[in-house]
This record gives sequence, C-alpha cells and structure tokens, in this order.
Amino acid sequence: MSLGELIFLVVCAVVVVGALGTIFANSLIYALLFLVLVMFGISGLYIYLGSPFVAMMQILIYIGAVAVLVAFAIMLAGPFYKRPTERGPFFRGATGVGVSALALIITFKVLKGAFGGGEEAPELYGRTRLLGRAIMDRFPLPFELISLLIVSSIIGAILLALLSRQQPPKEE
Amino acid sequence: MALYQNIGVYLFLSVLLLACGVAGLVFRRTLIGMLISVELILNGAGLNLMTLNRFVSPEGVSGQVFTLFVMGVAASETAVALGIIILLFRRLRRIEGDTLRELRG
Repeated sequence: MSLGELIFLVVCAVVVVGALGTIFANSLIYALLFLVLVMFGISGLYIYLGSPFVAMMQILIYIGAVAVLVAFAIMLAGPFYKRPTERGPFFRGATGVGVSALALIITFKVLKGAFGGGEEAPELYGRTRLLGRAIMDRFPLPFELISLLIVSSIIGAILLALLSRQQPPKEE
Repeated sequence: MALYQNIGVYLFLSVLLLACGVAGLVFRRTLIGMLISVELILNGAGLNLMTLNRFVSPEGVSGQVFTLFVMGVAASETAVALGIIILLFRRLRRIEGDTLRELRG
C-alpha cells in the first residue's frame, strides 16, 4: 500500500468518524466540533479529487465562516442549564434503521454500477485556471447572483438582530 | 488500481453524510442541531458533485463551480438561520423546534 492510499484511508476514517460523531454527540458544541472534523476530511477528499482550490474554499468558507457562526449561535442561544431533552432511544433507533435502509439502497445502486463505477479515474484535469475561466465565462450571472444573495442575507440577519432587540421577550 | 481512484468510495462517503444528516435532522430537537445536520447534507452534496465531475465528465469544471455556489448558498443560509434562531431564543427563551407552534392552524 502506497503512502497516498494510507493517507486516503485516514481521511476517509476522519469523515466517517466525524459524521457519526456529529449525530451521536450529546452536547451541541461537541457535535459542532465533529462537524469541523468532517469538513476537514472533505477538504482532503477534494485534494484527492484534484482540485486544491475548492479544498481551500471548503476550509475558508465552511470552517472559517459557517462553523464559527454556528459556534456563536450556540454560545448566544444556549443556556446549558436548561438543556433541551433529546428524543428517546426508541425514536433514535427507528430513525437509524430507516436512514440506514435508505443509505443501503443508494449504496447498492452505486455498487451495481449506475455511474460506471470501478473504472480507472481519468487523468487529473483540475486546474484553477479552468475553474476561474468557467466562472467568469460560462457562469457570470450565477456568480453575481450569489454575491447578491450573500449581501441580502447579511442585511436580513442584521435586520433580524435589530428586530429582536427592540421587542422584550414574551413572558411565560 | 489505487483506492482513491475508485468512484465508489467517494459516493459511499457522500451517501453516509446524507444519511447522517437526515437522521440528525429527524431526531435533533434543537434548531441549532438541525442546522448542523443540514450542513452535513450540504457537505455530502458538494462531495457528490465533485466526485461526479471528476469521474464522469473530467474535461469540464461545472461540478466544481456548482460546489462553490453550494458553499455560498450554505453560508448565507446559515447567517439567516442563525439570525432567526437568536430572535426566537430572545422571544421564547427556547430553541426546540417543537415549541414553534404559532403558525399552526
């Protein structure tokens, strides 16, 4: 086994452990840390898929922005002495069985070769120059729309924060 | 053939992420837990797009572009969702999904 395969196995194990930990962690902050682990693993997989630019964007956007935002929300909205009760083990077991069945169905579809699986991968093509050209030449309108969407969502989040500051909390 | 040149491994990992995300979305009760599960699903979708781009149409880069767009949408979605969650927490002092019944008919 070459070094590349060994590192690939480690990356896959990181993704699997992180995904299961995100589900089974009791505390939300641990779930978030496992989610960060998953994101790192997926960034490694992107490097194996031949596009280091998207891997860097994965780390920058998901870990640098999304995970930090979720961490702030957990800190702002989490009085941990009033921790919500999670669902019981029966519900969790039923959910696990159902979702595992779904995953097995999809996996057998893949193993039966719905995507031409098992073939040798083609030559590496992932060059960042091609990616930039594709964004600027073929997808300029979605690119601009994404920036518009992000600006509007930032304004929306600020408005929501202002709105919640003006009204006192409802008494219970 | 090296293991990392096999399309099945990547697709299996993305199915695993989808399954874990759906399971967490169903049985987490807090809104933030559900949001974390949605992030898992989006990560799985991005991995799927990148994999199919690499193995099925290697001459184009549309899958990578779509993955970048998915990241942008995920970031903005998280920002708005967290604004809503903090607003709900300030009003109701709870962040369980079950307690949000004001719109129930």
